[in-house]
Amino acid sequence: MAQLFRPGANSIAVIVIVALFAGPAAAIAFAYFLWNSPYATDQNLTRAQPVPFSHLHHVGELGLDCRMCHTGVEKAAFAGIPSTHICMTCHSQIWTNAQMLAPVRASYASGKPLHWQRVNRVPDYVFFDHSIHVAKGIGCNVCHGPVQKMALMRQAEPLTMGWCLECHRHPEKYIRPKDDVFDMYWHQPFDQLEVGAKLIRQYLIHTDHLTDCSTCHR
Amino acid sequence: MPSLKPPSGLDRRVALKLLAAGMASAMARCSRPDEEIIPYADMPEGLVAGEPMRFATTLSLAGYGRGFLGISIDGRPIKIEGNPNHPFSLGATDIFAEAGVMSLYDPDRSKAIRRGDTISTWGAFSSAWRHATHAQDGQGLALVTGRVVSPTTLARIGALKNRYPQSRWYRYEPVHDDAARAGARQAFGKVVTALPNWADADVVVALDANPLGHGPDELRIARAYAARRGKAAKRQRIHVAESIWSLTGAAADVRVAVTPAHLVEIARAIANACGAHLGTPELPDFAKAFADRAGQELLAARGRALVLAGDSQPAEVHALFHWTNAQLRAPVSYLPSQDIVENDHAYELCALANDLHAGRIQTLIVADANPVYDAPDSLRIAEGIATVPFSAHIGLYRDETAHGCRWHLPMSHALESWGDERALDGTASIVQPLIQRLYATRTRDDYLAWLANEDVTKAYDLVRKTWQRGAPEAVEASWRKALNDGVIANTAATPLSLPVDRVSDFPGMSRPRGMSAVISPDPSVWDGRYANNAWLQECSKPFTKQVWGNAVQIAPGDAQRLGIEDEDTVDVTIDGKTITAPAVLMPGQADGTIGLHWGQGRLEAGRIGSNIGVRVCGVGARPFARVINGAALQKSASTVPFRSTQAHTRLQGKMEQLFQIATPSEIARTSPKKENRAPSLLPVPPKGDYAWAMVVDTDACIGCNACVVACQAENNVPVVGPEEISQGRDMHWLRVDSYMRPHGYTERRGFQPVPCMHCEYAPCEPVCPVEASVHDHEGLNVQVYNRCIGTRFCEANCPYKVRRFNWFDYSGEQAYADEGVALKAQHNPDVSARGRGVMEKCNYCLQRISRARKTAEKENRKIAEGEMVTACQAACPTRAIHFGDLNRADSDVSNLRKAAQHYTLLEELNTRPRTTYLKRIFNSDENG
Repeated sequence: MAQLFRPGANSIAVIVIVALFAGPAAAIAFAYFLWNSPYATDQNLTRAQPVPFSHLHHVGELGLDCRMCHTGVEKAAFAGIPSTHICMTCHSQIWTNAQMLAPVRASYASGKPLHWQRVNRVPDYVFFDHSIHVAKGIGCNVCHGPVQKMALMRQAEPLTMGWCLECHRHPEKYIRPKDDVFDMYWHQPFDQLEVGAKLIRQYLIHTDHLTDCSTCHR
Repeated sequence: MPSLKPPSGLDRRVALKLLAAGMASAMARCSRPDEEIIPYADMPEGLVAGEPMRFATTLSLAGYGRGFLGISIDGRPIKIEGNPNHPFSLGATDIFAEAGVMSLYDPDRSKAIRRGDTISTWGAFSSAWRHATHAQDGQGLALVTGRVVSPTTLARIGALKNRYPQSRWYRYEPVHDDAARAGARQAFGKVVTALPNWADADVVVALDANPLGHGPDELRIARAYAARRGKAAKRQRIHVAESIWSLTGAAADVRVAVTPAHLVEIARAIANACGAHLGTPELPDFAKAFADRAGQELLAARGRALVLAGDSQPAEVHALFHWTNAQLRAPVSYLPSQDIVENDHAYELCALANDLHAGRIQTLIVADANPVYDAPDSLRIAEGIATVPFSAHIGLYRDETAHGCRWHLPMSHALESWGDERALDGTASIVQPLIQRLYATRTRDDYLAWLANEDVTKAYDLVRKTWQRGAPEAVEASWRKALNDGVIANTAATPLSLPVDRVSDFPGMSRPRGMSAVISPDPSVWDGRYANNAWLQECSKPFTKQVWGNAVQIAPGDAQRLGIEDEDTVDVTIDGKTITAPAVLMPGQADGTIGLHWGQGRLEAGRIGSNIGVRVCGVGARPFARVINGAALQKSASTVPFRSTQAHTRLQGKMEQLFQIATPSEIARTSPKKENRAPSLLPVPPKGDYAWAMVVDTDACIGCNACVVACQAENNVPVVGPEEISQGRDMHWLRVDSYMRPHGYTERRGFQPVPCMHCEYAPCEPVCPVEASVHDHEGLNVQVYNRCIGTRFCEANCPYKVRRFNWFDYSGEQAYADEGVALKAQHNPDVSARGRGVMEKCNYCLQRISRARKTAEKENRKIAEGEMVTACQAACPTRAIHFGDLNRADSDVSNLRKAAQHYTLLEELNTRPRTTYLKRIFNSDENG
């Protein structure tokens, strides 16, 4: 009787046995990677907007302050998308005939608001508040990235819970003086950890509460 | 995609294609739907998106206005809170006010003009009105309303009278005060409003009066009641004699239960004690002892003593008590009545019925009243209305009367209307809209102005016209001030000085045959106008804890005699009409009385309120009689389910520990109990900057349920519906338990609001397999909804039974689809809407703590004492709920936890709850 298994069968058996363990592990690792990849988090995604508004131009080139348009950022959870009237403060004077701004003028004339596509988004069960972050020395670009370089707005960070917690666990790595919160060109000092720890005390930040579930979920 | 109809055309190729497409789509990423941000085109000044704004407005109850603050987020009213400026709110709310937002968004509200069953137009209505057959001078034109004290509405009615001089206005309010009106006429020769200054009384004797029960004066009295419960003031003594349980009876220090006939005799005895000579009262010994003692105490406290007669008492008792109060120099303010109609309410309704049947009415306008439902059957109102050639109904809902009328005009809700109201003492306030009207509706004033052919028919202009007072430049400023404050300055009436120097005739009451039915408005749905409000239907009644229905309350003695057991269905026969409803045995109710509630048994209330319970207002000859003698009671052949909530969490044999009572002398003797600091196997809870705690004063709690509905509104607590309640499920984060302890001739009753205890050693936490139930650093035991997988271990392990499980998608309307989508607009955007399969519970209004913390931290300070107020605390008319920070040694809660009357529920379990209680104190050491 001929041999049932040829010599190559040994190799196959080894591969199968290894794959039995490595396969699921690899699948989980892949799923975990995929879950946190920009593919799933929408990181770096730009969306089609009714008007191709450029932060590069308005912030980077003209140097407008964030609060000029995002009026709620120091007062409320929601930073606020400017009303058409705010756009028209300037654009009733400059670029009054630009084709690009036709939807803004139409909205101004009709009183019907512009429909913007949300770029930075956390799930509904997360209660994020802009005002407290801004008040406690977390700069805009910590979460929103180098806005002054973005011709079209994109989501700069993954905005996953793990990413949030990185800062909530170690705020000293990210905190900056309140005066520099809206400074898009601020750079961390070489002794950030020491300065950060000092600022945490100065701003009366209760670090133990930062990682409570109830801080963001309710 | 081919349709998924029977596989006649589905061959092998198509099947494989579909299979492949399915696999491919399963592998494709499930992307989140895109979300839009829609800013304002022109943002209103001062508005911050997502931040709550408060507007002063007015809601009315029984025609009288009470000022409240409406909270609006992004233009949507989501919550009602009390207005501290308004003398009849004083910062508190009641269930009807809290549920106002629910009524606003009620999907069953009337949205269109109707002619019969078909939707019609304003043009069709106005042409029909022009062809209506009443005479030019208004002969044959009738207007029916509830009680109207609003200056703007009265001006409209005046204008209608001017335009049609021969027209007739019938005003009646189902929950009326006819007896008090008649009593005042006997005593003073005219109708006046008597407002007790409760806080100034050391001794109060109430005869079937229920000032702490729902009504336009409840909040003012409750505040004063609470002020006298504090340790600073000399304690008040409250004596109550009544037939069936009322909230005032439960709050009393001494209470007896007697039949209505005996109540009159007690009045006689008390008046005799104060110097009247009205003959010897016929009373059983215990009632005589009560009357003697009450009389003595009243006399001893002359100048600070008060007697009150309830709406069920005959006019003679009211008149006699006016005299008695005069003898006692009682703290009562007599004010001119705001209700300007001379005739009594029941008389007006009977006059309407007579005129309808006599054919004297050709054109009938019913504005915000529902006589087809609430008038007794003997008046045959529906038949009468059917004979009228032109009839129109103006109302929030297409109710029974709307169905009886030829036309129906939809009315705007108060929260979307301009208008004005007066309170009991005449204080005027503006009804300010919080939202643009949701449907094509108009206000009552709009309609009436149009019918009267006035020049101005816009509600806003009408109100402005009413308050156009003073110099032109001051008008705008005073208008803005009135809107901001929620009261119009200097509009309260000046008290009258009315001497009563003679005792009116006082006939004895004939001993009734049969049993006495004692009828009062429903504690949840009032006279039936709130029947379609799901929050109120599911708000359990104070004593019976019944929801979604009404019951017959009977004394245990009668029950034993007639072989009736608790929750049996019984037939009550009154004047040949039979009411079939479940019976509830009420220890402490007078033998020979039957307690009934108006307000249920609506046929056309809407999808929520129709066909719930039984209609009581149809019986009897006199409209809205509070006492009907000659009732018969027997066990019924049919079965009506009794739905209640307290049995869900009953714990046997623990009553004395759970609801602790004491007398002032006992409190003075006891020293504060040391806090239990026994070791525990559970992990030590984390410590943080704040340690939130709540102390509930069961001594102040009157069981009004305002906290329950406030919590529901604030925290998006869904309604589960009658079927789910029958399964033992409900969702209230805060329940009010009703306790009863035998005592002498009667029972002592009390209420205990039970939210989550926020145990420091929380039994719910170690059993959660996914750590969805965890502690935070401020001592809150929080539930993380997005982690919860619904094992319900925590619920099983919670000794206080405060956890609630979403068996179905209650908030998403899966189980309770009748609620409709409009209701979603009511949801508080600061609170998650919980999905199916998730556990939830009280979180001490975490969203409010979070807001207070952020406000404080932005200003680099700590949250101040009293800055953080929970929704239940804000609503409470007696300030029974205290909330604050235990880390602060001088905080309210820290002090209360050291008080002698402080205790903890189930302390032996060593759970160390953060929610603790103060004992109920009865200011009486003797029996009875």
